[in-house]
Amino acid sequence: MGYTPHFGQIARYLPYLCGGALISLLLAALAFFGGMVLGLLGAMAKTSGGPWLRRVAGAYVTFFTNTPALVQVYFIYFVLPDWGIVLSSFSAVLLGLTLNAGAYLTEVQRAGFLSVHRNEVEAAETLGMGRWQTVWYVIVPHIVRTLYPPLTGQFILITLGTSMGAVFGVEELTGRAFSVNADTFRSVEIFTVVGALYVVVTIAASLLLAAVGRGLFRARMGVFG
Amino acid sequence: MIRLFHEIVAFATWYNAVFLVEAGARTLLLSASGCLCGFLLGFLLAVLRHTVGRTLLPLRILGVLYTEVFRRIPFLVTLFLVFYAFQALNMDVPLFWIAVVSTCVIGTAYLSEVVRAGFAAVPRAEWDAATTMNFSLFQTLHHVVVPQAWRTIVPPAFAFFLSFIKDSALASQIGVVELAYAGKVFNNRGLPPSIAFGSVLLAYFVISYPLAKAGARVEGRLALSRAH
Repeated sequence: MGYTPHFGQIARYLPYLCGGALISLLLAALAFFGGMVLGLLGAMAKTSGGPWLRRVAGAYVTFFTNTPALVQVYFIYFVLPDWGIVLSSFSAVLLGLTLNAGAYLTEVQRAGFLSVHRNEVEAAETLGMGRWQTVWYVIVPHIVRTLYPPLTGQFILITLGTSMGAVFGVEELTGRAFSVNADTFRSVEIFTVVGALYVVVTIAASLLLAAVGRGLFRARMGVFG
Repeated sequence: MIRLFHEIVAFATWYNAVFLVEAGARTLLLSASGCLCGFLLGFLLAVLRHTVGRTLLPLRILGVLYTEVFRRIPFLVTLFLVFYAFQALNMDVPLFWIAVVSTCVIGTAYLSEVVRAGFAAVPRAEWDAATTMNFSLFQTLHHVVVPQAWRTIVPPAFAFFLSFIKDSALASQIGVVELAYAGKVFNNRGLPPSIAFGSVLLAYFVISYPLAKAGARVEGRLALSRAH
């Protein structure tokens, strides 16, 4: 009992921690876009691929959604060197997060594909739209509007997930928290400040993404709740 | 290939099997107790947020802040925060319980949102009708709200538990001997990393996959019963 917090001692590390937050966001953005590409391929394979493609995509999703991202990265980080592939900790974490995000984003995007109603496509045909016109003017806008809100949610979850980079020595926000902790031993203060920084960063990201969604796709979305 | 076979044979000892099963049990126990505690507190928080009137307003605001803040902090940071907070208070708490408390802290925030969504599925008029009939808050919940809301609550609450089986791997970082920690131990003992972490990935899969299947089946059945 009787612990006196000293936030003053870590004030000078604040710019360093903010830099870490930017690296977290960078890592999250890279993993998200990589995961979107993987997820698009996976969703296409699952909805319109042949039996083998379906099976491969299904196995990928099942495996990566039923095992922890942390152990996936452990596997990549420690096993790939045995097979002659040596990755830096940043790339190993990025690869793991991307593969993991890809599996979840496959399911999200598949749900988006399935939400397109047959009637919409038939209505487009009735109006005399060609195949690509239907895709570009009817299907894509529908999918983008439907998917945008859950995708922003996934982006926030991925941002929180990047904190495990600290385990492998990546200098993102949590990693830098570990360094500052080793320097100052003001552990409670540091992890409080870092927690607050995560809150600020993710709220800022949510607000920005919601504004973009409302402006570009007229997506109906709230930031909170 | 033959080398890998020999390594797997060397790995498959009684001691390693027991160690892996015990670690798996700890992973399950940690997630289950953390999520159960989170569910109970989350339920109370959702009830609190559903109240009306001025007197509880400050508590309601605190409740909203709590859910918004703790759903935006990574589990790893929460773990270390709880870990060092206990240390600062000079309390000697076993690592396992630190992980349970951290899970509970995060779980309360997420699961209160799940319960709140379930409450929202019950029309406000029914709450009001129960009040008019002089039901106490407990009676309203017990006889009117929960019997209708649980179908909406159970699937996402179970999904949260499933996701925490995987997220609990981070508890290895404060030294809780669960599955991910077992992988590190195997690796440090000089076993080939492919076997050390491969076996752990497999163990997680064996736990998570049947639960996910069962969850999907229950969800399907609940959706059916709701449609009727």
